[in-house]
Amino acid sequence: MDSHAPPLRTRDSIPAKAGVGLRFRHHQEVLEARPAAAWFEVHTENYLGGGSAPACLDAIRRDYPVSLHGTGLSLGSAEGLDPAHLARVRELVERAQPGLVSEHLSFSVAAGNYLADLLPLPMTEEALASVCRNVTQVQDHLKRRMLVENPSTYLQFRHSTIPEWEFLAEVARHTGCGILCDVNNIYVSACNHGWRASAYLAALPPEAVGEIHLAGHSVRRIDETRTLRIDDHGSHVAAEVWALYAEALARFGPVPTLIEWDTDVPPLVVLLEEAGHAAALIEEAESGSRRALAA
Amino acid sequence: MEVAAPSLLELQRALRASLLTHDDRGISAHVVDAGMTPAERLDVYRNTFASVLTTALRLSYPAAHRLVGAEFFEGAARVFIETSLPRSACLDDYGDEFPGFLAGFEPVSSLAYLADVARLEWAVCRALHAPDAEPLDAQRLVALAEAERARVSFAPHPSVNLLRVDHPADLIWRAVLEEDDSALSAIDPCARPVWLLIERLPTGVEVRRMTQSAWRFTSALCAGRPLAAALDEARDFDAPVLLADHLAAGRFIDFSLNKRALNFP
Repeated sequence: MDSHAPPLRTRDSIPAKAGVGLRFRHHQEVLEARPAAAWFEVHTENYLGGGSAPACLDAIRRDYPVSLHGTGLSLGSAEGLDPAHLARVRELVERAQPGLVSEHLSFSVAAGNYLADLLPLPMTEEALASVCRNVTQVQDHLKRRMLVENPSTYLQFRHSTIPEWEFLAEVARHTGCGILCDVNNIYVSACNHGWRASAYLAALPPEAVGEIHLAGHSVRRIDETRTLRIDDHGSHVAAEVWALYAEALARFGPVPTLIEWDTDVPPLVVLLEEAGHAAALIEEAESGSRRALAA
Repeated sequence: MEVAAPSLLELQRALRASLLTHDDRGISAHVVDAGMTPAERLDVYRNTFASVLTTALRLSYPAAHRLVGAEFFEGAARVFIETSLPRSACLDDYGDEFPGFLAGFEPVSSLAYLADVARLEWAVCRALHAPDAEPLDAQRLVALAEAERARVSFAPHPSVNLLRVDHPADLIWRAVLEEDDSALSAIDPCARPVWLLIERLPTGVEVRRMTQSAWRFTSALCAGRPLAAALDEARDFDAPVLLADHLAAGRFIDFSLNKRALNFP
């Protein structure tokens, strides 16, 4: 089989509907019950070996569109990408034929070590050049367009000169990549740094936004007066984030939307309910744009 | 005081040092401190860094985790992380040095079997995540001439792992994971060598005990020793029967022909 053959569009593309982040504890249930989920997204790094995990993914892939979401490519690394890791990602992309492939606007590798987190980048011209170089290398290697996601951040660097939203738009413009707009991350970072979340959304080029992420976050109390929002993917999507999501849909139109839940993962039905809430908002946005067209 | 902006590489290495050793000297001057100090902000990343890697170790070493208890395991993991960072973004690959670390970790020196249990757990992890590979079709061996067959060197399946430990790590491991306290208390944990074969089957990872001679024969084959040489050295048991079992179980995926039958090429 020619592994570079174009995938069947109907089976492989991610629909502009609400999907669910698939975690190990739900594999069996999905395989047996075939729930009515529009699509699933998995973490790339959990499927890079052999054995039962990728075999399960193969089986799920036969019935659902699947997206691969990575945490390990380290798009912001000044020292460049790890070619061995990139090669393993490509193998999985060829095997799973995902509808979307995404990564983060962050770095996680320094001095050859993986630092197990999505670490913040200085928003500088130098970092922009590094990210663009690395994104281009990934897209060339995978022979496909990727999406880059805005992270939640807890610190900013003094020497940053470019607002994050402009930085992300520039990466998309320079490399042709798409944007994975994580609405929860925008909200978390906006609260933590005093940005205006709506202005962030308004600065993103709508045509580049290929996916939206939604998740829960927590509020950590630092002391009597100060709090910090932490993107822990361990609860329901917050009301303020749903409101921001409705704004995003109004700007970008219906976009594939994912519910992420990674800590204290609840029963699958809870995730499907969250996805149902997103689906209702997508439908509202669709009828809104139809009304606008008819007017 | 104005500090010169660091290069991206300098900044990333300084953040690495801050996560790893809590040394913020290279980074804190570059962090905006509005409302929170740089150290408070860096603590968020330090927490994630340490907890993600500790979780990765706990998932790879569940029996060791239960043997020493959650609190102790976490403390040991934090010490280990300072000396051994992941070299790959695939965390299934992280922790190969943990058994060796435990072997030299003074606070657990009274648990002589702990490092062996961890060695077994690492072999189980390797088997679990090893690449998939098609087993060798035994017909390809049948098609060889007798003299050629003697020169066969096998390539083992990536999930096959042979381990020799000094304690009954397999019994301890099984009893701990099955939470079988009566089995655990019946085990004599004293040092005596055990020879193990670890492999991934369609049903999951299997850990089997072998006799010393069967293990040696299997190890020789997996190391690529020519078939005739391995058979020649295996005198006190029925090696051809074991070889047939290995082939039927798919423990080899390929072979090559050595120049000579009896020695390493």
